[in-house]
Amino acid sequence: MHEHNGSGSPSFLARLGGIDRRWIFLAMGLSIALPILLKLRFPEYPGPMAKATFDAIESVPEGSTVLVAFDYDPASAAELQPMANAMVHHCASRGHKIVFMALWPLGRQLADKAIEEVLLEFHPGLRYGTDYVQLGYQAGNEGVIKLMATNVPEQYKTDTKGTPLASLPLVAQIKSTADFALIASISAGYPGAKEWVQFAESANPEAFKLVCGSTGVQVSQLLPYYPKQLDGMLVAVKGAAEYEMLVEGKYPVEKNAERLGQGRVRMGPQLVAHMLMIGLIILGNIAMVAGRSRGGAR
Amino acid sequence: MSDHGSNEPGPQVQAPRKSYRFLWLSLAVLGLSVFALRTASAAQAQGADPAAAQDLWKTIGIWCAAFMTLGILSFLYKDNPFYKVCESILIGVSAAYWMVNGFWSTLVPNLFAKLAPTTVREIALPDLPVSATPGTDMALAFVPLVLGFMLLWRLAPRGGWIAVWPLAFIIGTTAGMRLVASIEADLLAQTVATVRPLVAFDKATEAFDFWATVGAVTSVAGVLSVLTYFFFSVEHKGAVGATARLGVWFLMITFGSAFGLTVMGRITLLAQRFEFLFKEWLGIV
Amino acid sequence: MLQRTIPIAILSLSGIILMLAYFSPLTTSWGETVLGWFNVLAAVAFVLGAGNLLRVNLERISAQRSGWAYSAITLVSFFAMLAFGLLKLGAVPSEKHPDKHFAGAYEGPTAPYGWMYEYVLSPLTATMFAMLAFYVASAAFRAFRAKNTESILLLGTAFIILIAQTAAGMFLTGWIPQDSVFAFLRFDSMKIAITEYIQTAGMRAITIGIALGVAATSLRLILGVDKSYLSKS
Repeated sequence: MHEHNGSGSPSFLARLGGIDRRWIFLAMGLSIALPILLKLRFPEYPGPMAKATFDAIESVPEGSTVLVAFDYDPASAAELQPMANAMVHHCASRGHKIVFMALWPLGRQLADKAIEEVLLEFHPGLRYGTDYVQLGYQAGNEGVIKLMATNVPEQYKTDTKGTPLASLPLVAQIKSTADFALIASISAGYPGAKEWVQFAESANPEAFKLVCGSTGVQVSQLLPYYPKQLDGMLVAVKGAAEYEMLVEGKYPVEKNAERLGQGRVRMGPQLVAHMLMIGLIILGNIAMVAGRSRGGAR
Repeated sequence: MSDHGSNEPGPQVQAPRKSYRFLWLSLAVLGLSVFALRTASAAQAQGADPAAAQDLWKTIGIWCAAFMTLGILSFLYKDNPFYKVCESILIGVSAAYWMVNGFWSTLVPNLFAKLAPTTVREIALPDLPVSATPGTDMALAFVPLVLGFMLLWRLAPRGGWIAVWPLAFIIGTTAGMRLVASIEADLLAQTVATVRPLVAFDKATEAFDFWATVGAVTSVAGVLSVLTYFFFSVEHKGAVGATARLGVWFLMITFGSAFGLTVMGRITLLAQRFEFLFKEWLGIV
Repeated sequence: MLQRTIPIAILSLSGIILMLAYFSPLTTSWGETVLGWFNVLAAVAFVLGAGNLLRVNLERISAQRSGWAYSAITLVSFFAMLAFGLLKLGAVPSEKHPDKHFAGAYEGPTAPYGWMYEYVLSPLTATMFAMLAFYVASAAFRAFRAKNTESILLLGTAFIILIAQTAAGMFLTGWIPQDSVFAFLRFDSMKIAITEYIQTAGMRAITIGIALGVAATSLRLILGVDKSYLSKS
């Protein structure tokens, strides 16, 4: 902040480079807070990856057993819970039976939340044990996937309620990951979608469809797997918003629809904050050029 | 802002300036009074209803979460005791959370249930299925039990070599798993995905597809040029140098795109925290 | 022998079993057993992590080093959470076995452990990561300089993605018909071109490179060439 001491009064632009970063923090805070307070909403247009994910879940025959892995924690829930909610509603509406699990310890409660706020809210007729099962978390990261690829009951002795898998009709016949029609990993990093590709998809490439929801940070890592190893992929909160639109278009709900619209709500602040980011980068460069030309003139 | 974000908490925390101490104190008192008022009125409104206790705990919870959120955010202004308290709570709570989860979800059903099935059935898992081979299960479960104790030996001041055995087991298993998986899912599958026709035709009309062809050529050129850049056994001069430079360009575009997507993620996380503050806590949205 | 030969043998054996399990169905069950042990040890590692946390913080308190009071807060919250979870304090009794306290559910927000998760742990971790939004903005202002071709490519791509990922992309270029010659100027088309062709190619090369590295390192470990882990004791 004090680089310009004693060399005359620098121009505004040159001084800009040394601005207290708390002003930038404030600008960022406002750019996100204001759109939320003003409830800014913008239209979304589903892209090919969101469509591929939607189609993958649609293409599996009605009544199939799908596995949804909650491989994230509350730190990424802002991006991923909207995808999880929409996916759970989609699978249930399509008539699929859902098995929930988590590779991240904190993911288990996020799965519970999706069950409570989406599955039981919009599909109250579903019965535990025959229509859905919550297996919960197991320690071991990719070791869990690798073991499940050949022997699910060896990894999961019971569900989260302590009921043996053999007593739950939905999972009693599940021997390995190949017995699922579709696996979805809602993934925030390691372990997550990449490990599902490496340890489950590779072991049984044709056995099931594999889709994922990914945080913005992890997308790059997963892109090479799409569309061959990953049949669908939801990219960051935009992917969530696009997918929500597709799901809502085909399977609308009558009340509490906001539970399936969180992704679109969070797209409002994106526009303003992204413009701020672009503005900041441009301003930073202008300040650099201004500072340099001033330095050159001296 | 040279002090901001520094890792030297000592002086500021030990002797905060009076004005700041006053600020934090008044903030805390203000928050607590509003909280007490809100909870008291909520409790009064609901009377002695059994659900009221739950609602009360929810109200307390939301206020607690709001304070935690603001506590962490306060670091943006400057490092302060409020932030440090929140950070300390986070560290303690999350370590215990992981340990408890590991214990009940994995250690009890997958280790203790094999070593002492009757006891586990009596105490925690009444419906635990009876194994067909309890003897073998128990014998095999001794291996992770012993390795587990050896791993915990790391905490002891002496005998560091003891923890190397389980470490060797963990490394070996990971290596065995990863060797196969990375060759199959990454090396082979990605190579196969790269090697594809450079000239593309429309599937329906069988006409020459210009943009798909450009895409295919770009993909192959990208993979090969980036690999050339990573290949350090040959000096990056002449044709190799030019290819490597193209590889750098591809990488820059890759990182630029990754940056854009990362920004998006970070903004979403903050948006969710603001949503919580405005909606669940203050109820103004 | 105890400090070198046995660990090397353990490593090679476990690695080889996992590899064999992949190639031969006859050894699949061996691999499953080893994986079962591995996953149990992963849970033990959480205990180790907690133990380390205890050691570091107790040392800090006993030496009264600066900020020891924060260590005390860490320990109090650690033990509180541990007690709530391990003892399942206030757990909701199991429907089938209400008489068995430890069969109860402790994860829901009506039990202390679940409450702590919902109202303490969740907001803290979520806000911790949300802070990065501020730092990424500050870094964008200070560090992103268009100095040469490479940085211009990086910045240009970032701009396109930042615009294309929001409604601004459609607002600015959505009017260009998708089947026109200029469709490639639409932000959504540019984004797809960048992510599907260029970024995928870049990441594919990186993935291939990492795969080679992982395979080589794994082989070196299993064959006993790389023994660096032995010095970790």
